[in-house]
Amino acid sequence: MKKQLFMAVAFFALAVTGRAQEVAYEEYDLDNGLHVILHQDNTAPVVTTSVMYHVGGKDRTEGRTGFAHFFEHLLFEGTKNIEKGKWFEIVSANGGTNNANTSNDRTYYYEVFPSNNLKLGLWMESERMLHPVINQVGVDTQNEVVKEEKRLRYDNSPYGKILFAVAENLFKKHPYKDPNIGYMEDLDAASLEEFIAYKEKYYVPNNAVLVVAGDIDIPQTKKWIADYFGPIPRGADIQRSFPLEDPITQEIRATQYDPNIQIPASIMAYRTPGFKNRDAYVLDMISTYLSDGPSSKLYKKMVDDQKEALQVGAFNIGQEDYGMYLVFALPVGDTSLEQLNTSIEEEMAKTREALISENDYKKLQNKFENRFVNSNASIEGIAGSLATNYLLYGDTSLINKEIEIYRSITREEIMEVAQKYLKPNQRVIIDYLPEENPSN
Amino acid sequence: MQKLYTFLFLSFTATLAFGQVDRTKMPEPGPAPEINLEEPQRFELNNGLTVLVVENHKLPRVSVQLTLDNPPILEGEKAGVASLTGSLLGLGSKSIPKDEFNEEIDFLGATMNFGPQGAYASSLSKYFPRILELMADAAINPNFTQVEFDKEKDKLITGLKTQEKDVAAIAERVQRVLAYGKDHPFGEYTSEETVNNVLLTDVQEFYRNYFVPANAYLIVIGDVTFGEVKDLVETHFTPWTKAAPPSFSYSNPKDAQYTQINFVDMPNAVQSEIAVQNLVNLQMKDADYLPALMANQILGGGGEGRLFLNLREDKGYTYGSYSGIGNDKYGPSRFRATASVRNMVTDSSVVELLKEVDRMVNEPVSQRELENTKAKYAGRFVMALEQPQTLAGYALNIETEDLPKDFYKTYLERLEKITVADVQNAAKKYFSPENARIVVAGKGSEVLENLEQVTFQGKKIPLKYVDKTGAPSQKPEYDMALEEGVTATGILEKYIEAIGGKDKLKAVESYALAADADMQGVTLQLELKKTASDQFMQNINMMGNSVSKQVLDGDKGYMVMQGQRKDLGPEEIEKVKEESAPFPELNYLAAGDISLEGTEMVGDKKAYKLQITDQKTAFYDMATGLKLQEVNVAEMQGQQMSQILLYDDYQEVSGILFPFKLTQSMGPQSLEFNVTKIKVNDGVAPSDFE
Repeated sequence: MKKQLFMAVAFFALAVTGRAQEVAYEEYDLDNGLHVILHQDNTAPVVTTSVMYHVGGKDRTEGRTGFAHFFEHLLFEGTKNIEKGKWFEIVSANGGTNNANTSNDRTYYYEVFPSNNLKLGLWMESERMLHPVINQVGVDTQNEVVKEEKRLRYDNSPYGKILFAVAENLFKKHPYKDPNIGYMEDLDAASLEEFIAYKEKYYVPNNAVLVVAGDIDIPQTKKWIADYFGPIPRGADIQRSFPLEDPITQEIRATQYDPNIQIPASIMAYRTPGFKNRDAYVLDMISTYLSDGPSSKLYKKMVDDQKEALQVGAFNIGQEDYGMYLVFALPVGDTSLEQLNTSIEEEMAKTREALISENDYKKLQNKFENRFVNSNASIEGIAGSLATNYLLYGDTSLINKEIEIYRSITREEIMEVAQKYLKPNQRVIIDYLPEENPSN
Repeated sequence: MQKLYTFLFLSFTATLAFGQVDRTKMPEPGPAPEINLEEPQRFELNNGLTVLVVENHKLPRVSVQLTLDNPPILEGEKAGVASLTGSLLGLGSKSIPKDEFNEEIDFLGATMNFGPQGAYASSLSKYFPRILELMADAAINPNFTQVEFDKEKDKLITGLKTQEKDVAAIAERVQRVLAYGKDHPFGEYTSEETVNNVLLTDVQEFYRNYFVPANAYLIVIGDVTFGEVKDLVETHFTPWTKAAPPSFSYSNPKDAQYTQINFVDMPNAVQSEIAVQNLVNLQMKDADYLPALMANQILGGGGEGRLFLNLREDKGYTYGSYSGIGNDKYGPSRFRATASVRNMVTDSSVVELLKEVDRMVNEPVSQRELENTKAKYAGRFVMALEQPQTLAGYALNIETEDLPKDFYKTYLERLEKITVADVQNAAKKYFSPENARIVVAGKGSEVLENLEQVTFQGKKIPLKYVDKTGAPSQKPEYDMALEEGVTATGILEKYIEAIGGKDKLKAVESYALAADADMQGVTLQLELKKTASDQFMQNINMMGNSVSKQVLDGDKGYMVMQGQRKDLGPEEIEKVKEESAPFPELNYLAAGDISLEGTEMVGDKKAYKLQITDQKTAFYDMATGLKLQEVNVAEMQGQQMSQILLYDDYQEVSGILFPFKLTQSMGPQSLEFNVTKIKVNDGVAPSDFE
């Protein structure tokens, strides 16, 4: 009965995959090297203006962890024509919202405005690119703010150090080894001169992409872009060379303590290839297979049937040079972390040694189709994907074609990739333990 | 070729453009965009379920939201029953076993979640009919079983434990308890005890009473047609039995009589969680609803709010400081101004928060602030229309909040009419800096001293202590005053005297100790030997195999860990040497460089704390002089780790008192060794140190 139902549903799925949405866009370069992508959608009077710079946590020298993120904070301090402290006010007084975020690979700034304020958004981002004001007052204030952000997000936050522990053990040479937010002492040591040099090197039009998406008029938008961004001088070409990691051939064991927790966690992590690599897409599927949804392998077994885990999850953290794939579990009651590791490894071994079932494979395809449809649900989201696809993946058209990559992945390939990256001798196991109250 | 043209064309327009744009001037907005406020389509079932449908065919997907607009529910001594009901709902139905149910939803790539008072599902539009059917079945025919109940109960209790040290979670709980009282639906909290009071029958009863259609709304948004939805909903939701939830009353909470600080001690905190809060009686239909939102927005609504500009941008105390104002048609909700700040600036942050709230009440805001804030709201209103959920949300509010039909149509117009005086009046009515409860959760030993001194407008703010559940508590004790004349030397001498006296200790050439510990059912055997001439051996056996061994003989030594032998380096040798003396206190006394750090509690005993080395402190009982504890701080993987050794159960051997119980702990792990044998000047041979 059950089987029949699935067959019927699967047939249905094949029959209707023809219907898909297509995100239309146009792209070109200004002669200072700034890449521009425009996406027009006039259904709601909203426009997103965003700039992504190809600079992130990994672009730094030793002893300057957290530099890119700190710098992102500085770029809200004002420009030649925008007074210090007015950035947020201008955005909000014109009915908009804005924010920015920094990953290890890139920094992203965006404003969302009612569409009658597109010109304002372009002006602000061009101001930021052309002549931001970077001074000691800003450095001092933002130093404190960033440190508070670190305390809030990581130091005071339960399980906030999981990713730090994973990165530290998966990477020995590549800057991915250190937290993107940086170490306190490095944040303190960063000097004004270094920030100014950083701006000159990385915040140049030839290292960025501008995306305008939403309720726009294309010729008018192009003209304003040329007006505001055209005069910004091109910068020197950027050379990047990051050290290569040696393969992990022997299991690494580590312990991390967290004063904010009472229930320990076990983490099993693997180093994976950069996100452009086809294998990274396959690993994404494996992650979904193992832990997304109540009928996924790990959840069903460890949380539901054996009641040994309170929670189990898998993450595939994609990055430009190397990714991190990690599975974590929180024990129920007296279950030992070793027991959790054994259970996780059992499922990993199955993935490496046998093909996943036809039924599970179809389930994965359905899940990824659902995800694809939802990924283009908001204009803001489309703008982010366009920028990322161009700047980091080198292929803007992925916005419409990414689903084809997932569709082309076979069961055999899933097994091969699991064998290639998820063997016990390639893993890091972290015992993530509560730390007793520090004495007062 | 094509590219070249584009290139030329672009550089041409770019050159042309340079003369025309003046970037020193901020661009003016274009004409206001048109907005489109469509009303959702609507129908009702006889059992009371109201259905709202927003058709949106942009993407091939649908979302379904079931909301029960019931009054707040007091769970009392069974707090947790609502949450357990929510967890047990959606685990299949009477006719579909849980695993099959989950498998099918996952297979369709859909999501479905239930809560105690609602449910949500989303899927590709092609699977909508089946998803709606599954949702209705799970909602109307739930299958509550003892097995799943026990499982969810365990998970809930374990989940509560994960929050025990979460500073933000504790702060939030205490804020609610203090604002509403713990016998109020918003103030009560779930604990292990109340969860243990809940039985499966309570869940069934909760479901019967409260999961009923009288106040239910089903909102369907996406790539569907109204006709299709109407057919499907009528088919699947008509069997839901008509019923209304029982009503009951509870105590009416009151604000504090005077502004006060309530402090919760959280020894693990690296930031203090601060909230300045008071109760508000505000409903969406009130005439001053929008002015109240404006007042809150100007104070702490975001990155341009006064709190953010002051506490973050000006002072760098915090990553962000915000305020929020609630509204509730059934009773009071809260106004809160909050910040998470580093320990050192806790007191200053309290003052700044109060100052900003007070300024809103006592001074009119500037015209510019008001205009900016109106623009922000207008923009937000316009931009929210991008999401089809917005239209459904507006329609739902009109129904549930008793709003005029044109509430959203006149929104921008009403917004525009708000004056500076309206905003100040709203601030006066809804912000109470005179009757505020300030809740601070933080590390007492670092913040209390200054927090006790906080004054506002020339008056000291009374400080009260509460525990993690919000109940009144005592001031935590950290340092007891040192009596006059107490010195490190005196403490060491007292200890030496207490365990047998200098002469007896000096006569000890060597001793051997054996102890057992139980580690998850496995016995660990510890063997320890020391001599007065820099010899030391420690061996830990598990089931007859050595798992760890350290040996020192004069200037050389080695360690064996899990079969791997490693010679000790010069630094390690020095460290082990410090440990190797039978009674290291004799050496401390001779060296004379030990400092007295203060006093602290060790368990329930008052103790003196001596700093032995940079990494090591020792604690001696004030009353008996005996050593109670040693703490070693080590650096492991870039982390400061404390290793604690507790000494207990002193017994006499050859005229000297030895601790017979040694408890070693590091992180959450702790091992209790019970001494089985101690021999003085006996049982040690030179071969032990080879």
